[in-house]
Amino acid sequence: MTTPPSELLMFQVGARLFASAVGDVIRIGNVRDVPAEELVEGTTLGQTFARERGIVVSDQRDGSEATLVVDQVLGIRQVTEGEIRPLPSFAAAVLQTGAVAGLVLLDEVPTLIVDLPTLIRERRAAAPTLQPS
Amino acid sequence: MRDSFDLDVRAARKPKAGAKPAARKATARKAAAPRSASARARGTTQGEAARLAGAVRALSEGNHDVKLDPRSFSDPGLRQVAQAVNAASDHIKGEVSEFRTRVKNVSDGVDEAIEAMVKLVVQGDLSGELRLGVTDAALTPLVAGIGQVMETLKRFVTEIREAALQLSTSSAEVLAAATQNESSTAAQASAIHETTATMEELKGASHQIAENAQMVAGIAEQTLTGAKQGEGSIKLFMESMEKVRHNAVEVDDAIGKLSRRVERIGTVVEVIDEIADRSDLLALNAALEGAKAGEAGRGFSIVAAEMRRLAENVMESTKEIKNLITEIRESTHAAKEASDGNKRMAAEGEKLGGAAMTSVVGILSGIQETSDAARVIHLATQQQRTATEQVVQSMAEIEEVTRSAQAGSRQATGAASELTKLAERLAELVKRFKVE
Repeated sequence: MTTPPSELLMFQVGARLFASAVGDVIRIGNVRDVPAEELVEGTTLGQTFARERGIVVSDQRDGSEATLVVDQVLGIRQVTEGEIRPLPSFAAAVLQTGAVAGLVLLDEVPTLIVDLPTLIRERRAAAPTLQPS
Repeated sequence: MRDSFDLDVRAARKPKAGAKPAARKATARKAAAPRSASARARGTTQGEAARLAGAVRALSEGNHDVKLDPRSFSDPGLRQVAQAVNAASDHIKGEVSEFRTRVKNVSDGVDEAIEAMVKLVVQGDLSGELRLGVTDAALTPLVAGIGQVMETLKRFVTEIREAALQLSTSSAEVLAAATQNESSTAAQASAIHETTATMEELKGASHQIAENAQMVAGIAEQTLTGAKQGEGSIKLFMESMEKVRHNAVEVDDAIGKLSRRVERIGTVVEVIDEIADRSDLLALNAALEGAKAGEAGRGFSIVAAEMRRLAENVMESTKEIKNLITEIRESTHAAKEASDGNKRMAAEGEKLGGAAMTSVVGILSGIQETSDAARVIHLATQQQRTATEQVVQSMAEIEEVTRSAQAGSRQATGAASELTKLAERLAELVKRFKVE
């Protein structure tokens, strides 16, 4: 995570809701407009169904772009600092992934904050080890 | 002998009642002649001649005991005559005696023959021959005649016996035939009675059939009217089916147009949805950029959020439109199927109507034939009724005749029975005559 999130991009994979920092996102595109080799699917976030949106993410290490396939992008949501929680150590040890940056309580529902560049790197590097709970 | 002679002479002197007047006159004249010697001689001769005449007259009258004494005659000639008269008297006496003997023999023979014949007839034994002790040749024809009579009688008896036998047989056959005839006549009378009763029932049945046939004719007329109404209804039904089919075709065309327009709307909605999606995407990116810009991009983010809401509203609307289009598609599909079903049903209805029309035409024809047949049956049964009444009347007459015939048969049977008894009686009587 490069900056502390104050505004989060809310997206949905399957039935689960996730959040990410807006700074990690270059743009939001349509999956139909993106070549298939540039799409990233089957991540630890879960199985997609509608596959309507693609979140274009930049890898700051090599400057390349990748498009994470999600089912829906719900919009931008502002959160306060107090609403953001670090990932508990026990959860971090169990997940065995570095793509989860923390938790945010939205309408008293804990939502995972995903580090999109890390997620894409891990997906590209190896088979996913993060299993959705 | 003298007494008899004298008597004979007196009888000879006495004129007979039947004597001729001329002879009596001559005798009277002779009696009145003068008595002289010659006259006396002559008188003696005349007296002797008178004696002779009286004797001859007595002989001729059947007095065979006439006897003259020739010595009492003075005249030799008269004496010889007296001797000849005596000889003739003796001869006649012998002849008469012989004749009487012969007559007695013949009479006895006749009596014997008659007695023998009566005895045979009374005993009924005609088998033997009539044997008589009669030897007189004069009875030969009589014996032969009696034999012929016996033979004839025997032949008659034989023929009567055969006739009696045949009569008995025939009378038995006649009795059997009469009995059979009586039985047959009784059975015939019974059968005729039953036939008459049956014909009476048939007459009633004919009457009933005639009424029923008339009723059937009436019903057939009503049915014919109803069937013609049915024919008109089927024509109307077929016209309605034609209209239904025509309307179904129009509905099908309208559904086709509606479907095509809905497809067009779908296409437009897809375009709108695509635009809304892109608008949503643009709004998202605008909001993203506004968020990245921080406080400077706040207003931009608000506009982007508003745009996104609009886009979402549009997508929501297009979604509803899509749902409506889907419903309309389903409805048009159902309507299309219903319309096709209507067309098929209409075609089927027309086909069924045609078949019904064909059937009704056949029914009309059948009913017409039934009506005609019922009328014909009515007329025929009326004729049958009339004929049956005539038959009943004839049967009654036949029954009356048969009753008379039955009574006649009874009488014939009684007569045949009597005839049989008479034949048996005759046979019994004839049996009494033995002919073999």
